[in-house]
Amino acid sequence: MGLTTWITRRAVRSAHVLIVEMPGHWTTRVHVERVVRAWGWHPAVAPADADLLIVCGAPGPQMAPLVERVWGQLPGPRAQATVTAPAEVIPALGRAQAALLDQRGQWEDARDRAIEPDVEHGDTGHGDVDHGEMDHGDMDHGDMDHGDMDHGDMDHGDMDMKPGGIPLAEGSEDRDGLEMDVLHVSLGPLLPHWPAGLVLDCSLQGDVVVAAKAAWILGDVVGAHESDAYRPGTAGAVRLDNVATVLALAGWVAAATSAWRLRDDVLGAQDPHALRPEIERLRRRVARNRLLRWSLRRVRPIDAAELAERTWPRMWEGDVHDRLMSALDRASASLATSERRRGALDGSAGMAGPAVDVTEVLPQVVHGLDVATARLAIASLDLDPLGMTQIQHV
Amino acid sequence: MSDSSVVTVGAGWALVGLVLLGLLVLLAAVVDGLVGARASGASALGGAMRPLDEGARLLRQRRRTTVAADSLLWRLGGGGLLVTAALMIAVVPLGDWTILDLDVGIVWFNAMDVLVWALLWLTGWGANSAHGLIGGYRFLALALGYELPLMFALVAPAIAAESLNVGTVAAAQDGVWFVVWMPIAFVVYLMGVAAFSVWGPFAPALGSDIAGGVAAELSSVDRLVFEGGRYALLAAGAAFAVPMFLGGGSGPLLPGWLWVVVKAATVLLVLVWGRRRLPAARPDVFVEVGWLVLLPAVLVQDLLVAVVAVWGS
Amino acid sequence: MLVGILFWLLAVVAVLAGAAVFIVDSMARATYALALSFVAVGLHVLLLQQNYVGLVVILMMVMEMAIMAVYMVMFMGMNPALMPMDMVHGRAAALVASIGTFGLLAAGILLVEWPARRGSPAGDLTRALGEELMGPKMLVMAVVSPVMVATIVAGVVLAAHRTRYDRMGDDLTGPPSDPQPGGVGR
Repeated sequence: MGLTTWITRRAVRSAHVLIVEMPGHWTTRVHVERVVRAWGWHPAVAPADADLLIVCGAPGPQMAPLVERVWGQLPGPRAQATVTAPAEVIPALGRAQAALLDQRGQWEDARDRAIEPDVEHGDTGHGDVDHGEMDHGDMDHGDMDHGDMDHGDMDHGDMDMKPGGIPLAEGSEDRDGLEMDVLHVSLGPLLPHWPAGLVLDCSLQGDVVVAAKAAWILGDVVGAHESDAYRPGTAGAVRLDNVATVLALAGWVAAATSAWRLRDDVLGAQDPHALRPEIERLRRRVARNRLLRWSLRRVRPIDAAELAERTWPRMWEGDVHDRLMSALDRASASLATSERRRGALDGSAGMAGPAVDVTEVLPQVVHGLDVATARLAIASLDLDPLGMTQIQHV
Repeated sequence: MSDSSVVTVGAGWALVGLVLLGLLVLLAAVVDGLVGARASGASALGGAMRPLDEGARLLRQRRRTTVAADSLLWRLGGGGLLVTAALMIAVVPLGDWTILDLDVGIVWFNAMDVLVWALLWLTGWGANSAHGLIGGYRFLALALGYELPLMFALVAPAIAAESLNVGTVAAAQDGVWFVVWMPIAFVVYLMGVAAFSVWGPFAPALGSDIAGGVAAELSSVDRLVFEGGRYALLAAGAAFAVPMFLGGGSGPLLPGWLWVVVKAATVLLVLVWGRRRLPAARPDVFVEVGWLVLLPAVLVQDLLVAVVAVWGS
Repeated sequence: MLVGILFWLLAVVAVLAGAAVFIVDSMARATYALALSFVAVGLHVLLLQQNYVGLVVILMMVMEMAIMAVYMVMFMGMNPALMPMDMVHGRAAALVASIGTFGLLAAGILLVEWPARRGSPAGDLTRALGEELMGPKMLVMAVVSPVMVATIVAGVVLAAHRTRYDRMGDDLTGPPSDPQPGGVGR
């Protein structure tokens, strides 16, 4: 028993945490991330890699089944906690840690779980989607004689031809005029580095988004405990968080980590204005990096004509790299003046410009991009998560 | 098999090679944990213990599977990386001794690193996950950009030593190490090592933008073996750089075998240190650079080396 | 003795993996069964002490199969992964043709009187191979390589709907209008 206990202790010491944010609980999520980092834990990017599921904000009737599905994808030993306010973070994480250490509890959890993975896993945007190798493990490959079928004209409604109950992909012409399969993959709402509560239903050919539809899924009571949202440094911290997201998606971990730490400093500071030099330093460091510029320039450029035609905010002009730099500028500027946060879904916090509907904008932004550049483009829009809190007050 | 200057040792010594590879992997993992902990402000001791903790965590975790996964191909892909790394170091001479004194050792190494193409794609494909599949395709796209420059980078030392035998190439550097007059080939080689180890800027196949990509559905021992395989490939690539560019076991005071270990560890630490410091080379921009910049550059390098070799003889 | 055992073992693997290409019901498995078959053949060549040729066979075939998997998934008009699919078309004719060919070749191997060896292999086979290719056979090599490259390029050009005129305008002077930019700023 001694060895098991020792392994358990060591294992929990580097637990991987999947943090999912309900709309309007940005501040809670940031606090969770800060504590996770301070404890030497690691944020997970997918359920398969996670030991802990931390839900920031109470999931409402729409979100609860999605959270449940992600919970079902954690391999175990596993524990989950719901945190609805920054003050609850440490006790909640402590309880989750205790649950992870509790071997008897974990054993019972494992015993009660279904053996078979659930076919319906797919649409949380976490993988398990209906594509990939279908291995009929329980069938004898040698005896499957489909004769001389013309696969093109097959009746897709036939349940026998849907192994695992997964519907088949349909083909259509891709951008180079080749017949390609179209897959339907949902990005979000529970995805790291992704706007909370946003779902983007994408039709993919290869990894190119040929069509997309966006929608918001709301959590429960939004922003009930987020009084922190009105602190002076919050707008700047939100910008820094979005900057860190772009940097993380661009694969520059060192700079992303710096931006996250700076975000936490700004949020925790009595006088955020004193941190302006730090932001300037980060800005210079990002601007200096030629490889980043090489990687991000000319990715989803938005020119003045498109801005005017679609009445998008002026801050979106340029490519992903330009938008990244302007977000850093805004972070710095927001600490110079104690601006009042403007809540709206237009992502134009502190910016003059007409409000836009994100669910309309995003499909236009990501059309024709591959999944990676689509993620970069969305992150570079610097959307305002706190805007979600306003929905309740409208 | 060949007229090289190294002694072939018995097959039992392969165990020593594997132990050394394991030690290099451990060193890389510990240093990587330290660097990561320092960056995020966590405790340094915790960072240094990270390999142990991660190992414990993954051994405690339960294996999961996905709907309609092709388990055979999936597990083959994940487990194959470690085997590939072990086969790579078979042709690396440790001072004067080698396990496999092949007359075409450089081609052997090259064939092994191409296996990673298949293994990565199969790992992404087998889990029946869109993210894994995208990751697998991304790796192949990057591979199209890095593999040819890497091959021609390996050609440079072979031309200079007039042999494809690794021991002969190491012995040919008694005067001046190849890294001194083949810097482009050396840099491109290191890039190739990082790329076939899916490491640092060459890890878009495991990107956080596709929920972990190829590794999106791996858990427990599968993930442990996969991650261990990546570290082992990195260590094997660093070890192979020693006879190719860094003079093999030559050096003052210490015995030859120890010099090989020290040099390999140094190259490995450089690769580990660089892991988080660069943005990702996204495949859609890197492939063009690989073909239009790296390939011509390394071909010019080969030409210069060939001219020197012909002129010298 | 050991070489003999290895030879037969690899021979069985090569043939069975080759057969598996047509038996398995998934593209990835078919592709990599073919790769396995080629790897076994490459190891055979290694047993013949043709180290360079053997390793190059393994290297090239693994690489080719990795790319072939991409093409298969790209060009098949349906999702092969989700559909247990039959890798054989025209089963009866194919079986007759393949068994007939195999029988003919095997009979030829067994019935022909092979001449006895006259020379002896060179000391350094890799060098001898290189000198043979780059010396007397240089003309063949110099012709074959460009023709192969031209064939590949022409095939891609014919298959693509978008030509360079679509990308760069009728006089080919404009900047390329690609969905996504490449890495060297063209």
